Amino acid sequence: MILGSLYFLYPTYKDSKLNSELKKLTGQDSLDFVDKYNQDLISARDKRLKLGLDLKGGMYVVLDVDVVKLLEDMAKKKDDQLLAILGEVKEVSKNSDELILETFKTKLAEKGQNLKSYYGELRDNEADIESRLKKEIDNSLDRAVEIVRNRIDQYGVAEPQIQKIGNSRIIVELPGVSNPVEVRKLLEGTALLEFKLVYDPQKAAKVMEAINKILVGDSTALKDTITTQVKTSSVDSSLKKTESVTSKDTSKKSAASEKNVTELKNTTGVDTKKDSLKDKKTADNKTVKKDSLKDKKDSSKKTDSAITSTDTSTNSDSTNQQLSEEEFKKKYPFFSLVNLNNESGTADGYVKDSDKEKVIRILNREDVKAVIPSDLSFAWSNKSFDAQGEKVHVLYTVKKDPELTGKVITDARSNIDPSNNTPIVSMEMDGEGSADWARITGANINKRIAIVLDNVVYSAPVVRSKITGGNSQIEGMANVQEAKLLEIVLKAGALPAPVKIIEERSIGPSLGEDSIQAGVSSSLAALLLVALFMIVYYKFGGSVADLALIINMLFILGVMASLKATITLPGIAGLILSIGMSVDTNVLIFERIREELGSGKPLRTAVDLGYKKAFSAIIDSHLTSLITGVILYQFGSGPIQGFALTLIFGLLANLFTAIVITHIIFDIMIQKGKHVNFG
Amino acid sequence: MRIFENTNYDFLDKRKFFYIFSTVVIIIGFIVLFTTRSIPLGIDFSGGTELQIRFEKDVNIADLREAMDNAGFSGMELKTMGTERDVLFRTPMQEEGQLVSDKIQQGIRAKIADNNFEVQRIDKVGPKIGAELRRNALFAVIFSLIAILIYLAFRFQFVFAVGAVVALFHDVLVTIAVIAIFDAIFPNLRLEFNQSMLAAFLTLVGFSSNDTVIVFDRIRENIKLFKNEDILHVMNRSINATLSRTIITSGTVFLTVLVLFIFGGEVNRSFAFTFAVGIITGTYSSIFVASAIVVDWKERGNALLLKEKSLRLKTAPKVKKINA
Repeated sequence: MILGSLYFLYPTYKDSKLNSELKKLTGQDSLDFVDKYNQDLISARDKRLKLGLDLKGGMYVVLDVDVVKLLEDMAKKKDDQLLAILGEVKEVSKNSDELILETFKTKLAEKGQNLKSYYGELRDNEADIESRLKKEIDNSLDRAVEIVRNRIDQYGVAEPQIQKIGNSRIIVELPGVSNPVEVRKLLEGTALLEFKLVYDPQKAAKVMEAINKILVGDSTALKDTITTQVKTSSVDSSLKKTESVTSKDTSKKSAASEKNVTELKNTTGVDTKKDSLKDKKTADNKTVKKDSLKDKKDSSKKTDSAITSTDTSTNSDSTNQQLSEEEFKKKYPFFSLVNLNNESGTADGYVKDSDKEKVIRILNREDVKAVIPSDLSFAWSNKSFDAQGEKVHVLYTVKKDPELTGKVITDARSNIDPSNNTPIVSMEMDGEGSADWARITGANINKRIAIVLDNVVYSAPVVRSKITGGNSQIEGMANVQEAKLLEIVLKAGALPAPVKIIEERSIGPSLGEDSIQAGVSSSLAALLLVALFMIVYYKFGGSVADLALIINMLFILGVMASLKATITLPGIAGLILSIGMSVDTNVLIFERIREELGSGKPLRTAVDLGYKKAFSAIIDSHLTSLITGVILYQFGSGPIQGFALTLIFGLLANLFTAIVITHIIFDIMIQKGKHVNFG
Repeated sequence: MRIFENTNYDFLDKRKFFYIFSTVVIIIGFIVLFTTRSIPLGIDFSGGTELQIRFEKDVNIADLREAMDNAGFSGMELKTMGTERDVLFRTPMQEEGQLVSDKIQQGIRAKIADNNFEVQRIDKVGPKIGAELRRNALFAVIFSLIAILIYLAFRFQFVFAVGAVVALFHDVLVTIAVIAIFDAIFPNLRLEFNQSMLAAFLTLVGFSSNDTVIVFDRIRENIKLFKNEDILHVMNRSINATLSRTIITSGTVFLTVLVLFIFGGEVNRSFAFTFAVGIITGTYSSIFVASAIVVDWKERGNALLLKEKSLRLKTAPKVKKINA
């Protein structure tokens, strides 16, 4: 148990050690340090004990789906009467727990209206419309969560927590963020879904080559962003390691591009056409797979030669030359970060998670921006896939101006294609949108169109034919979840999920530091005081009790770390109560032992009797507290749950240490004839 | 070293006095609570916006109040926190969309230009959330009391469970009363009913039930051991036997919480103070409320039993006589 706790706590120690070392270094050294220990840093950060927002500073936001706004958006006609009714509903809902849809219905009835007049067709019946609206309201939470997650990922917060609560709430925790204005904008703004053409691969590759040239030419800037020099042997080995990751990347890449060779076809399309396209697709995949099986040097050389073929004026000699990894890094700093797979015929870049920051920094440099054509923009993929324990993101190049926005989408639905049991997503557009869509797809057959939500690419299917009539079908998703996600995203374009902030807490980092110092140091002082008292009062017994106390603390913290739970101020309160219970249990046992000793029993018998007699009291008191703890966890909100959680773990740990561990220690000590006393 | 060894205090003899004492404390406390409106609801429960701001230099509260009046926040609650640089702003306003906290900051800047400040904490709680928290907290407390009642009725006799739960109610009421009185006398403690005070109440319920259970455990054991002694004696004996553990445990936990109260900072103060009061009442109630109720119940039961017996004795001979 102790070993287990220590195992889980080790990353916490390592993280604080690495970070304190990092603090000592500055400038170039610190960058080197990050490069060297990147893997360690990330894994330690992931596994360490996490501090709650009240201790670390950050923002805690509760979002509620704005049902009133949603009802307004969904209405087929928006007249003054509807707006007036919705205004009243909004007022009522502020102080009522009634479902907003219900309030809305009664208000409509008061005005002699019904849902049908605003949401239905002629033939629809009232109950159907109501259940449809209800479903839309429920679904809007999923959309809102996806939109929020997407944006927060882009905002770049470390360890954000996004939780769905009940059927209309989202809790967002953003550690270390203290800019309420910006976050509010980020969370409450309306989502933007766009269809953008994927940039011509040849041209995109040229742009990347130009970026690369800038990086090669500007060696000082290079040092800031990329480590090119190999300094020590350990760095050398870590380089080798990462390089092998990329070789795995390529094999994974095939899987990814397989997914990305999604097919966008007209639902009314001819079957034979579809079949031939399918054949072509599988043929494509075969070549991709073959490529990925080649070894890493080969693939990097391939990238190399492909680049030179697009831009023959530079480095024409390098094609004949076998480049070592370091040389490749030196010569193609950009392509060592952004891997292209030329066999796939796309210019999608594959970027390791640890390199993403660097790439973003490069793309934001003024001199780099200067060579990026004004109609090109880079966009990241929403999903990443794992390659040898590291996430790999896809960097797309798309046309800056959207061909179409998601507003034209009227519906989207994910389904299973019965003919081959693969997930598909069908999408419907309104009349105007359909006309545009037919024109766009007609002009871009065999090109790819990216589905972009808030500047993040969710899918980039290939257009197989001109799509008239507005019914499109997207296929090639890896699984049902992916299809479901795409449905949510497409619907976000059709119907935004308006959210409002109903609770917001932001704690500045300095206050967090203050409270952690005050809370932790005073808890430690109290702990020390209690421990000292136990030794003075119970002598040897007291020191065993103190040992049990330490084991308990280790256990609680270890469990918290292993569950990736966070430590909050109420959590510390729970810890204090656990300390109290732990002391109490030992006092209970020791007092019993003293009684038995007082009645003249030998030490061994007295200890055994003491434990035996105290047992029922210990069990009963722990169980009553456990019951309370569990109920608090069930009914309490955030902070109270934190308290309950530490208390529950504390009680369990305490039951074990008090009944088993300390007893065993006394037994062994008495057997060895050691001097055991209880004061 | 030993304290309270082999004591023999008659705790339960004066129980009537302690009943009255507890009742008086509760009544005074609640009179104070309702007349002075002490223990304000924190925004966790009432809804509103709260900002904690640290200024670079000491700041004059009167100036700030004027600034807030100008910014349209008349009646803004302003308090210094520990130093003259740390100020707490609180208003029941939290209009959605409208950024109360931004307006407050603009208001300060408009009035006080030469004193930079840093916003350390912003809390904005909607009225619905507040109501929900109140309801959840109430549910949590009621359900845990019921669960404790059931568990203890199962492990002990029903009387004990009733005694324990009455003691828990007593602890909560007395603690509220004491806090109300303290808050009225020492407003500088800035006690308010927020989430951490709620956590403290929950903790004290846990602590008090723990303490009561341990005393009861000894009573349960001694009832079996000393079958011939009357219940009052057995209970006094049990309370005396557990006295040293009661004092040591309560003492050490009290010490822990005291340290937290003094050095734990503003955030922990409500928690620490409430729990400290709760430790005292929790320990007191195990003896003078929980055990006392059990004694009274049992004695009344015995008296009834005796009455019944004597009735039967009185009637029985009569029947005999008639028969004869």
